[in-house]
Amino acid sequence: MKDRYDHENIYWIPILIIFVFLLPLILKGISFSYKYYLFVLNLAGIYIILNVGLDLLSGFTGLVSLGHAAFLAVGAYTSAIMVDQLGVPFSLSLILSPVIVGLFGFIIGFPALRISGMYLGLTTMGFGFIVKRIIISFRDWTQGSAGLEVSSPVLFGYTIKSDLDNYYLIYTFVIVAIIIGRRIATSKIGRSFMAIRDSEQAAEASGINLSQYKMLAFFISGLFAGFAGVLFAHTSSFISTDHFDILLSIYFIIMVLVGGASSIYGAVLGSLFIVLLDNLFVPLIEDQIQLLFNTQAGDIQSLIFGLIMFLFIIFQPMGLYGMWLKMRIYWKLFPFNPRQRFT
Amino acid sequence: MTDILSGFGQEIISGIALGSIYALIALGFTMIFKATEVVNFAQGDLMMVGAYVNFFFVSTFLSNSGEPSAWTFMVALLCSIIFSVLFGLFLDFIINRPLKDAPIFSVIMATLSLAIIMRALVAMIAGPISLMPISPFGDNSITIGIIVISVLDLSIIASAIILVIIFYFIFHYTKWGIAMQATSEDPVAAQLMGIPIKKIYALVWIFSALVATLSGVLLAPRIALLDTSMGFLGLKAFPAAVLGGFGSIPGAIVGGVILGVIETISLGTLSFHFEWIKEINDIIAWFVLIAVLMVKPNGLFGIEKVKKV
Amino acid sequence: MKKIIGVLIVIGLFGSGCVKRAPSPGITDSEILIGNVQDLSGPMKELGAIIPNGSNMYFEYINDQGGVHGRSIKMLIEDHQYNPQKAVVAIKKLIEKDQVFCMFQVIGTSPCEAIRPILAETGTPLIAPATNSGTMSDLTKQAGDLIFHTDTGYDRQAEILVDHIMEKNSDAKIGLVYQDDDYGQNVLLGISRAESKYGVTVQKESYQRGAVDFKGQTMNLLKGGLTDVIIAGIVREPVVIMKTAEAMNFKPNFYGTGPTIDARVGKMAGSAGEGFTATNWSYMWNSDYPGPKLYRDLCEKYDIPQPYIGLYHYYGFATAMVLVEGLNRAGKNLTRNSLIKGLESFNEWESGTFPPITYNRNDHAGVDKVQLVQMQNGEQVVISDWLE
Repeated sequence: MKDRYDHENIYWIPILIIFVFLLPLILKGISFSYKYYLFVLNLAGIYIILNVGLDLLSGFTGLVSLGHAAFLAVGAYTSAIMVDQLGVPFSLSLILSPVIVGLFGFIIGFPALRISGMYLGLTTMGFGFIVKRIIISFRDWTQGSAGLEVSSPVLFGYTIKSDLDNYYLIYTFVIVAIIIGRRIATSKIGRSFMAIRDSEQAAEASGINLSQYKMLAFFISGLFAGFAGVLFAHTSSFISTDHFDILLSIYFIIMVLVGGASSIYGAVLGSLFIVLLDNLFVPLIEDQIQLLFNTQAGDIQSLIFGLIMFLFIIFQPMGLYGMWLKMRIYWKLFPFNPRQRFT
Repeated sequence: MTDILSGFGQEIISGIALGSIYALIALGFTMIFKATEVVNFAQGDLMMVGAYVNFFFVSTFLSNSGEPSAWTFMVALLCSIIFSVLFGLFLDFIINRPLKDAPIFSVIMATLSLAIIMRALVAMIAGPISLMPISPFGDNSITIGIIVISVLDLSIIASAIILVIIFYFIFHYTKWGIAMQATSEDPVAAQLMGIPIKKIYALVWIFSALVATLSGVLLAPRIALLDTSMGFLGLKAFPAAVLGGFGSIPGAIVGGVILGVIETISLGTLSFHFEWIKEINDIIAWFVLIAVLMVKPNGLFGIEKVKKV
Repeated sequence: MKKIIGVLIVIGLFGSGCVKRAPSPGITDSEILIGNVQDLSGPMKELGAIIPNGSNMYFEYINDQGGVHGRSIKMLIEDHQYNPQKAVVAIKKLIEKDQVFCMFQVIGTSPCEAIRPILAETGTPLIAPATNSGTMSDLTKQAGDLIFHTDTGYDRQAEILVDHIMEKNSDAKIGLVYQDDDYGQNVLLGISRAESKYGVTVQKESYQRGAVDFKGQTMNLLKGGLTDVIIAGIVREPVVIMKTAEAMNFKPNFYGTGPTIDARVGKMAGSAGEGFTATNWSYMWNSDYPGPKLYRDLCEKYDIPQPYIGLYHYYGFATAMVLVEGLNRAGKNLTRNSLIKGLESFNEWESGTFPPITYNRNDHAGVDKVQLVQMQNGEQVVISDWLE
């Protein structure tokens, strides 16, 4: 059922896609350090793919995962091993690895049939540690904690090496991921997910097979994380278990929640917001502060990041997407907006 | 044979000592979760702040009086406790008040960002150099037969037990404690019954800051070098809190001790005899946790909440 | 309309970082810009503050004397929190946005490994990575020809320690406590080489980064009946292990690899730390060689706070000398290639801070020997010659 404010402006989407594809050219035109910005955007893109999946799991189905870095790690290592050591072509690995990660999602999802809420969150966090350990233990394949060098992706005989190529590769998949994510969210599956989140008993009573859908949520989430993992491994050329620590998992859930849980656009906005905040805007502010007060870097950076996050949560607990919706309703009702709705 | 037995005895005692460390931190998690269902990710960092504040007081008094005496430590501890009460109130003011109607996850995220802020602020104020905390008990240890235990560890075990008993009684036999339980069960109903839930929430945060400070004071000499990464010990105490059943006070100590003993034995005897145990002994706590949760989804002492449609 | 405004805002934000592109990155007529990525807010933030401070002290001294060929040195420091992902972002920022001339002293093994692809892509040299890992001087790896390592590898240090132990007591039973990560893995590499050399088995115990309790491991060392124990830790680990062992009345000879050389180890362990022997790959900072003398003078001149002064600060200072000498030899017409050529012309170069360093096309390893430093009556005393 759609509210009168929930109609989508479909005609914006092609313009946005064109903008995404033109952005690197604009950046190249205006800044010689465009490679750095592209690099940060690439990172954000990978996180977007993963967070769309995480949102389907945690935002839509209400199964909190604090171990999503493990999904990313499994995807990255699977693809790195398949391509570099087993000689599987990259394009095939791009299909196989996500499926493997999805199946791995079953294993992690299995406890979810019994465990719920924060207990599930901490169980998945435990899986994060366990996966990291297992990766280290398979020394022959993964070179343990020393890390693994990964080859660049080769697609249709063309080696993708520069940041620009990576950008187009990653953002093609970002767009695909968002479209698929939207389709899933609005389909029967998505509605069942939300029913499970709102009340497991009610969902079960209305004929939703709980265990089937919970497992499906983990599988789909694993697929997205697998894609992200493959892209992560091959575009960053080097992976180690230190990349995928528990703090990264926590950052992922923060990204989803800052964007606004249970909306795909929210996950996208949240990922962009956090990555850009952490890597572009905080250093910018920090440089200014350093000029003013002549202080040591480092802690100031995390202080600013923490403060912005904190104030954001205090004043916008519904997330970025919630903020956007409020603004939209405000403009639609203007000038007849009832005051109390926005306070 | 006696060798193995004495080794085992030593490991169990050491494991209990290590487990008490986890239990102290887990107790702080439990306190807040019990009343507000919020997982406080800043608990470890609250402990770190407590340790730093206590260090500050101890070193200030020492620079004034010179020789360390029992009084120096007592007065410093008292000052730290007063500080922690004020700090708990402050946390309630900046986190709980503005977010009282927000979804629980927003509050959890607020505690996460608070952890980042605290870590950065403490590091900026105290400087990058690690501190060397002084223990009031020195390096003394007690030997019983062949089993050795340091006085510091004994003090940690003792305080964990005492704190758990005190808080158990507060929660179960005082008016305020029962009010807290009612609040955690159903805040709206509790409010209708005339329970001042704002005060209850404030009290819970004060309690948890208090426990955090006490554990920080006790643990600082135990970890030898005090720096802001002490907060990450909080992550190690997570499985302890969950294993006991989040929100159960005796559960915190039982979960902590179980994990402490398992960890020490797996690091000790087990890895001495089986090479492969070495590969998994840092995740053994999580294995145990997942296994227990599969059987009892709410932990050992957790209470299952019946959800109605 | 909104869209256009949005685009303009984005362009404005990105464009605000624009500076005019220099002909050779990081070099102007009056300045050389170098980049450094340190752990400023993570688990190793103590070193992240101390080491670059030591380097900056030397750069300041050089700048006060007119700089290198008339150019003063400016170092930009970024934070990576000991996370390889953040290290990659930071180094990308330094190279692409700030346009640094070269990288200096990036700390940590996995961060250094993670940035190899970027170094190779942009041809940026990395001088004196602040990790003792032996893999840094491996020329066959990616960007190996751009990395100039100064320290003796952990694997070499462990081998030398075993040599030393076996020389003293040929039927010694040796144990090793190592950190279960890349640091420990490099130590294990050296240990396994020594094992096959002497035909002995070393009892190995591991711990996790950030562990606070070492009772289980110490018990196992005791059960193994060891005479000599090598601790591959940092500061907390040797202190706690030696104290625990003393309480258990277990008194083997304790040895430590590079990072345990910190003077606080002996200070904190007290009586338990007496006789603790650690490896050191530079001259002791409080010795009478010309380098350490200059170091102490400069510390006084530039008012370095007391807690900073010590081995790590001295290490920052000493590696800075290597970079400055390289820049000196590169000549007036400074490019990345000429810097590499300048460094590769080091032949038994005596800095006064390190033992003589030789670099050439096939050798970027720097120092490959160590001295043993022992705690005696609470003082660090050098007890051996340079061991190879």
